[in-house]
Amino acid sequence: MSFTLTSIPNAPVDNRPDSVIADHEYGKLTLKEYLYTSKHPVGEPLPTPIDDEPPMAIYIATYISYLILIIVGNIRDFFGKVFRPKDYEFLVESNGYAPWYTAFESFYVRRLKTRIDDCFARPIHGVPGRYINCFNRKAIRGGFVYDGTSNECLNLSSYNYLGFAQSHGVCTDAALKSVDDYGTSVCSPRAHSGTSDLHLECERVIADFVGKEDAIIVSQGYGTNANLFSSLADSKTLVISDELNHASIRFGIRLTGAVVKVFKHNDMKDLEKLLRNQIAQGQPKTHRPWKKIIIAVEGLYSMEGNLCNLPKLVELKEKYKSYLFVDEAHSIGALGPSGKGVCDYFSIDPNRIDLLMGTLTKSFGATGGYFAGDKKIIDKLRINYISNNYTESVPPPVLAQIISSLRVIRGELNPGEGEERLQRIAFNSRYLRLGLKKLGFIVYGADDSPVVPLLLFLPAKMPALSRMLYDMGIAVVIVSYPATPIISARARLCVSAALTKEDLDYILEKINEVGELIYLKFSSGIAGGSKIPGRPPRMTLEEALATNVEDCKQAKLG
Amino acid sequence: MSVPMVTKTVTTTALAAMAPPSLEALGDSFAQTFVYYLNFLGKLPGGSIILKYIKLSYKNDPIRSLFELALFIFAVHYFLSSKRKENKADTIRFSDKEINELVAEWEPEPLVDEVTPREKWLMKSIPQIIGANGSKAFIKGVDGPVVNFASCDYLNMSELERVREVTKLVISSSGVGACGPPNFYGSADVHVRLEEDLATYLGAERAILYGQDFVTAGSVLPSFLKRGDLCVVDSGINLAIQKALIVSRCDIEWFDHNDPEHLEQILNELKPVLDKQKIRRRFIVTEGIFETSGEICSLPKIVELKDRFKYRLFLDESRSIGVLGQNGKGVAEHYNIPRSDINITIGALSNSFASSGGFCVGVVPMIHHQRILSLAYVFSASLPPYCAKVASEVIHQILESTDDGRSSSSIISQLRDITKFSYQLMEKHLSSELTIYSDSNNPLIHVGLAQKYRELLGFPNYYGSAQFLTTGKPSRYLNEFDKYYNWESFILQKIIDLTLKNSNILITRSKLILEHESLPVLGPHLLINIKRTTTKQQVEDLAHALASSSKKVFANLHNNIDVLNLERELLDY
Ligand SMILES: Cc1ncc(COP(=O)(O)O)c(C=O)c1O
Repeated sequence: MSFTLTSIPNAPVDNRPDSVIADHEYGKLTLKEYLYTSKHPVGEPLPTPIDDEPPMAIYIATYISYLILIIVGNIRDFFGKVFRPKDYEFLVESNGYAPWYTAFESFYVRRLKTRIDDCFARPIHGVPGRYINCFNRKAIRGGFVYDGTSNECLNLSSYNYLGFAQSHGVCTDAALKSVDDYGTSVCSPRAHSGTSDLHLECERVIADFVGKEDAIIVSQGYGTNANLFSSLADSKTLVISDELNHASIRFGIRLTGAVVKVFKHNDMKDLEKLLRNQIAQGQPKTHRPWKKIIIAVEGLYSMEGNLCNLPKLVELKEKYKSYLFVDEAHSIGALGPSGKGVCDYFSIDPNRIDLLMGTLTKSFGATGGYFAGDKKIIDKLRINYISNNYTESVPPPVLAQIISSLRVIRGELNPGEGEERLQRIAFNSRYLRLGLKKLGFIVYGADDSPVVPLLLFLPAKMPALSRMLYDMGIAVVIVSYPATPIISARARLCVSAALTKEDLDYILEKINEVGELIYLKFSSGIAGGSKIPGRPPRMTLEEALATNVEDCKQAKLG
Repeated sequence: MSVPMVTKTVTTTALAAMAPPSLEALGDSFAQTFVYYLNFLGKLPGGSIILKYIKLSYKNDPIRSLFELALFIFAVHYFLSSKRKENKADTIRFSDKEINELVAEWEPEPLVDEVTPREKWLMKSIPQIIGANGSKAFIKGVDGPVVNFASCDYLNMSELERVREVTKLVISSSGVGACGPPNFYGSADVHVRLEEDLATYLGAERAILYGQDFVTAGSVLPSFLKRGDLCVVDSGINLAIQKALIVSRCDIEWFDHNDPEHLEQILNELKPVLDKQKIRRRFIVTEGIFETSGEICSLPKIVELKDRFKYRLFLDESRSIGVLGQNGKGVAEHYNIPRSDINITIGALSNSFASSGGFCVGVVPMIHHQRILSLAYVFSASLPPYCAKVASEVIHQILESTDDGRSSSSIISQLRDITKFSYQLMEKHLSSELTIYSDSNNPLIHVGLAQKYRELLGFPNYYGSAQFLTTGKPSRYLNEFDKYYNWESFILQKIIDLTLKNSNILITRSKLILEHESLPVLGPHLLINIKRTTTKQQVEDLAHALASSSKKVFANLHNNIDVLNLERELLDY
């Protein structure tokens, strides 16, 4: 077939037997050994994540790469404006209108990102489970053309930590049933007629799961945060925010007009210094004491794979009478022996945290966000939270998916299945991470994190890795500026419980091949993975895999 | 009828703060400015002496003038830095022990205040639906099914069998969640298809989807605005856009709610100021059907003005899409204005489309820009695939119900007819204390206390703060709790409750959260959502039920003293 379709093709009909499809969505566990329980040993301090540094030459090469890209981009802009003015119409003032955006504002996008557009937003069809089906396409000027075929790739890209992205099983059954009983949408905000028995049930189940008295659910995780802070803070409040907090948290805080102070990512010393100083100084100019101080952090940082230092945070917030907000977007479901997130992982009573926020997008195959807290707090927010009165309510099939997947995790539905999912994500995360370390790659983040950032540094290696792996049948996400510092472009691998150990072996084999080819192995050994501690680890694939199952179950990787 | 607002133009002050010149411009203009000021200096009293001195000293001894210049710079630097130190001195130095004491003394306020007894009824009055929120619904504590005028499913699509079928098809082939942001494998075939469908349906070049209705405005607008850009905004705009404007930090001018004459006046006032400046991005911002007042915006005049004065138009069609126009294409179709005349259109998929999320349509570069820089698009997961499919199916249903694809859709005309009927009937039966505030094409009927009656009861013209209107800057604090707003809302709730209890009819009321509104808030309204499948009989029942329940509620409400009695009632609610 040829690339002639300009509009997106319809999903091809999948005629494989149901059992095959189900296995492609969620691979069967191949051996009982491939399980692990993630938990932080109580009382032990959180190891500071070691961010390995590549050789200086890599940094220099990275800067030079960007320099060349910028120079070439500017030259192209210059000649483009002269010879193809039509293409630049929207960048210059015309007919008395300012351009939508200036050439400068859009330079990065036009001249850098556009070159590798084929690595982003690959349209898919079907379930983004163990495998993901990406439509094959070819870039043409101003877009893409399709040939109607697709490529089935092992999926390291979707947020599907527990493998609940499925179109078969109890959760799907529940979702389908809810369509009959409740319809496709509620067509009303919660406060009007958008509160059904299913919503209240879902909130109860979530509150129980995270160990809080009550919870509120919202149809989008981003929207949950974006509107939440307006109900918590005003300009007499101080909000202390981790520098790497998600855009939705930062947006939400910006809306409140509160004073914001940022502390160095995960740096508890910096945080304490800030707290002490701010309590002493009080509000700017007037020096009146702050009305309240809110510390906002994430449980698991999605670009770094780092965990927050919850034990220390709780200690500090209690010592300095502040309120702690934890966004568990990536940690809920994915961490802890019972999947209850960072509190579970660190064995900390959830009641010591004031607001536990999370999203239902990442671990439960659903969508939306929630926050949970004491009944007193939630009661007030039910009448004073923008999302409750102004925005759409969560649609019924999503509620059914959330409720049923949580029941599976708790063992109330299909006993044993939830436990297996939790132990598979824990095992898979550690297995892949350690494998990559042994092979000599630089990976960031905590041992138990299901997000495994694989550092690339040079911008040209992003499309190289993404395209080569795609051709080998592996889908990965590449990220760089603005989501990360410009110098540390990376591939973000999201592990899933749906993958089997054999899938991971294949993935390691292929990443190893590509890594050799485009020179990605520059770890120094300080982050572990070597046979002889301190030496740069450069095992062969066979060496790395030989004992990886046992090795990755050691308390400390490396 | 709308209450006159307190809009005041602050043209010159807001515009005096010009956008900072870009670097190149800076270099160019520096030399000119320098010469200009030198000449200017000569005109000041005593300035000519200094000028002569500079010239002379330069001629006689260039080294000396250089030295003098260096001295001068040092003096300025010294002067400024001492100021900086003063700022630093603003932070008081404490010893560790002192800080410990301060920490021990500090008593923070609670994270959120507790619900007060006066607010309790707000929570208790939220109805709990058992099962689907359809045209008939079951409500906890009410016997038998109720006729539902509270859901915004204007076209009644959530109950259409075909819509449910496609939902199930998608869920059983793609699951529920999208499990990723659109840029990272979160765009499925159905998402891209809906974007194509929306663009074709509305007659725009491209479309982009958002995961939630409310975040759309707050994400689209700030992608095209920064400090120094200008928005001229309707002063009755909804909360989502208020927030979007606050975040984007642009200059804001307000025109009186839905008053194009006032808009013209403002644009005229702004023109001479703007003509002197470098061209910046400027928008007129308004809504198709206003969420707060239910009126329809006077689009033709606004489009004429935006072309004449060279502004772009940002239009929120959340409440008008799938409702107005022959084929439900919104307020633009209602007035026969091509979509291309509206530069940015946003809308919701959560009302007439029986789905979730929001969208934005417009020209290619505008939409493309959002795919990389619009926060709620980049940093959030895609809509569930089935939601995209549902919206596509609704568009399909609407278009299919037209004969030749151009004339009127029968689905839309059903809604239009019953809406028209409802307004006529309501007008006839409404008690004199109540008035209809919404436009008679709006299937969401706004009924509020009549202005005369409001005055009788001692209710103010508007609630909340007008600071945003008068200064262009929102208040830094949330609005205080307002007992009058609470009482007026409670009166409406009593009507709602009686109507539900006596006639099994569910209506709702506007539930703006006064604390969060940055603009003045009009008196609350009863909200009645007419649906395509609403029958005439149901409307008649509603009109009678409303007449009888409002009569009961108003029976002992004649003046501002009676209003005080409401306090006890709402405490016991
Ligand atoms: C920390 C954090 N909060 C919130 C969100 C937004 O969640 P959603 O995708 O459900 O809108 C994300 C997702 O990317 C996240 O990482």
